[in-house]
Amino acid sequence: MKKLLTPAVISLALLLTACGSGDYAATEIPQKPQPSESSAPPPAPQRDCVDPLQSYTPEGTMPPPGAMPPGTYMAKIKARGRLIAGVSADSLNLGSRNPVTGVIEGFDIDMIKAVARAIFGTDKGTVELRVISSPQRIPVLQKEQVDIVARNMTINCNRWKDIAFSAEYYRSGQKTLVPLDSTAKSLDDLDGKTICAPAGSTSLDNLKDKNPQAIPVTADTDTGCLALFQSGKAYGITGDDTVLAGDVAQDPYARVLPERFSDEPYGLGMSLKHPEFVRFVNQVLAQIKADGTWMASYTKWLQPALGKLASPPPSLYGRTPGT
Amino acid sequence: MTQTQSAPPATWSPPAQQPVPPTAQQPGSTPARGPVARWFEGTPGRMRAFLILTAVMSVVFGLSAAQGFRQADGALTRAEANAAQLVRIQAIHTNLVSANADATNAFLVGGLEPPDQRRHFVDSLAGAARLIAEAATAQPADTAALGALNQTLITYDGLIEQARANNRQGLPIGSQYLRDANAVLQNDSLPLVKALVQANEERVDTEFDGIGQGNLWVVIAGLLTLVVFFVTLRWLARRTHRYVNVPIAAGAVLVLLTMVVGGVALSSASSKADETRSGAYDRTLALSRARIAAYDAKSNESLTLIARGSGDAFDKAYNASAAAVVEQLGKLNEAGLRSQWNAYDQMHKEVRSQDTKGDWDEAVALAVGRTNGANSVAAFTAFDTSSGDRLQATSGEVSTSLTDARDGLPPIGWLGLPIGIAAALLVAWGMSQRLEEYR
Repeated sequence: MKKLLTPAVISLALLLTACGSGDYAATEIPQKPQPSESSAPPPAPQRDCVDPLQSYTPEGTMPPPGAMPPGTYMAKIKARGRLIAGVSADSLNLGSRNPVTGVIEGFDIDMIKAVARAIFGTDKGTVELRVISSPQRIPVLQKEQVDIVARNMTINCNRWKDIAFSAEYYRSGQKTLVPLDSTAKSLDDLDGKTICAPAGSTSLDNLKDKNPQAIPVTADTDTGCLALFQSGKAYGITGDDTVLAGDVAQDPYARVLPERFSDEPYGLGMSLKHPEFVRFVNQVLAQIKADGTWMASYTKWLQPALGKLASPPPSLYGRTPGT
Repeated sequence: MTQTQSAPPATWSPPAQQPVPPTAQQPGSTPARGPVARWFEGTPGRMRAFLILTAVMSVVFGLSAAQGFRQADGALTRAEANAAQLVRIQAIHTNLVSANADATNAFLVGGLEPPDQRRHFVDSLAGAARLIAEAATAQPADTAALGALNQTLITYDGLIEQARANNRQGLPIGSQYLRDANAVLQNDSLPLVKALVQANEERVDTEFDGIGQGNLWVVIAGLLTLVVFFVTLRWLARRTHRYVNVPIAAGAVLVLLTMVVGGVALSSASSKADETRSGAYDRTLALSRARIAAYDAKSNESLTLIARGSGDAFDKAYNASAAAVVEQLGKLNEAGLRSQWNAYDQMHKEVRSQDTKGDWDEAVALAVGRTNGANSVAAFTAFDTSSGDRLQATSGEVSTSLTDARDGLPPIGWLGLPIGIAAALLVAWGMSQRLEEYR
């Protein structure tokens, strides 16, 4: 009888602790992956090379538009029907998408258009702009996803290892943007402040060199830095004067410190595999610097913010492919 | 024990009222278990023991049957509530991805947002906000996660409005805020929504499983009780040389009937619920998932164009989302939806081919619906509208059929205990007849 009693007691006990009450564990809130606080590897030591501003010397006379020498990379572009360029879409006055018209325009874009005109005779419908971020500039050239990059890219020895540059097309310099009410006079006064620079840019390396006490913050693009600045996540921005001029134009509560602490010579980036294309682009640059096209473009885009310029930077040649 | 055979057992007093004080109250008195042991001595004592056991088992059966029914009923109610909550969460998800699809699409048109698109965006976000409040009331366990979701939405909407204000002034930084907003939605909001969806799917599954478990209570307790009745009847038959003790047998029949009726009712409710689960509920899930994947696909179409040539990753994401739509639609027998989706997918291919040909402007015109005639927006809206209608119909079906299953249950939930007590009283009545003979 006791054997029968036991299950009865057990089932009674089960009754009292009846399951399925509808009390659920609270929904778990997923943990956000913490952004790895890895301050990017220290900038690679600057490699010494012969003057980085030296590009390949143009050879012969420039072929007329539409008649590219067969077998050259320009002929290949001509056959394709369009020049593919990697550009920025958010650096006001250099390369930015006009929100009203949707067209990407600026000083960098004018350089690309000049190259397209030299190949096709026109820049209407012969340019395909691909928007790339700062860290993408070298990879897209190495993978040959674009023919040419015009995205405020500084010519230096390290980059010459991976890609080829045209002759210098603009001499920029690094400056610092701070809030309007800041009392700082130079980057040195910004110890312990968060300063933004695009990831993978020379600006970031220069910032770390110039003032190691400032806390670097990175964004993917120049405009990303401006958004961080406006939301208070970055106290200041450091970058090329051209970019900062565009930032100030969008935010009246920012000002640029006059101190210019580096020289940033801009070059058009191309693949190392096509030296004849680099030589051709150098001819194009020499031509527009000489015939006033360059100056007209400067006057339109950069002069309002950066002031008058006597002459375009000189083109330096003398490099031989493979060095 | 004064009843006669004909009297109903209504005034039968339980053995506890016998003038037998419990042993614990008589410490030190000679033979410690004396009175109790004496009470169970010999044949009448055994009868009393069987009486107590069988009566207790009857009551336990009554309680178990009630518990089984309450559990099944509760599980049905909760399954319905959780399914409704899941639909709500998925509606939140749909609203968010649809708002984001509008926002990314607006990125392509800049400051001049089409008013319809703007209205759709505002409606979607307002719908999400309202549903979050509803969902937090409906399921307290979700409150914390929904609160966190609400926070991300405030950030998201703030960034969107900042983007609009800047776009309206023609400042390129507007696009950066739009990108940030998109990142907040993708990295902060959607993981929360996915956690909510998962938690609620698990709850629905648990409750659907629980409906069948209610039957176990009825059947196991019923069988156990019948065994006790059988043993009692057999022992009585042997001891008293009478074949059947009618009241006890009647008690056994009462237990058997309750078990059979209850078991059948619960099985039918449970199979009805299973039908709903594999029918309307699955269709609801598939439709919701298809719609969410579809909005993701539309967003990715815009993002591919925004990236202007470096949008390979977004194009792959489009293909993954589109494959998910097709997979989910494949679970449904909805030829109409399928062909509407294909029409949109065809438009998307047209957008892609324009873009790869280098005609970005034409691709954008198609993607934002600026062209006359067929375009990506019109094709997508057609799919969106009819899939939304279908979703509303199927999710309504889930709740109706679960309510039906619940309404079909006999009222054993509250009749169980009275039935058990009645069986116990029958046992007492039957046993007291035999005990009389030993007076």
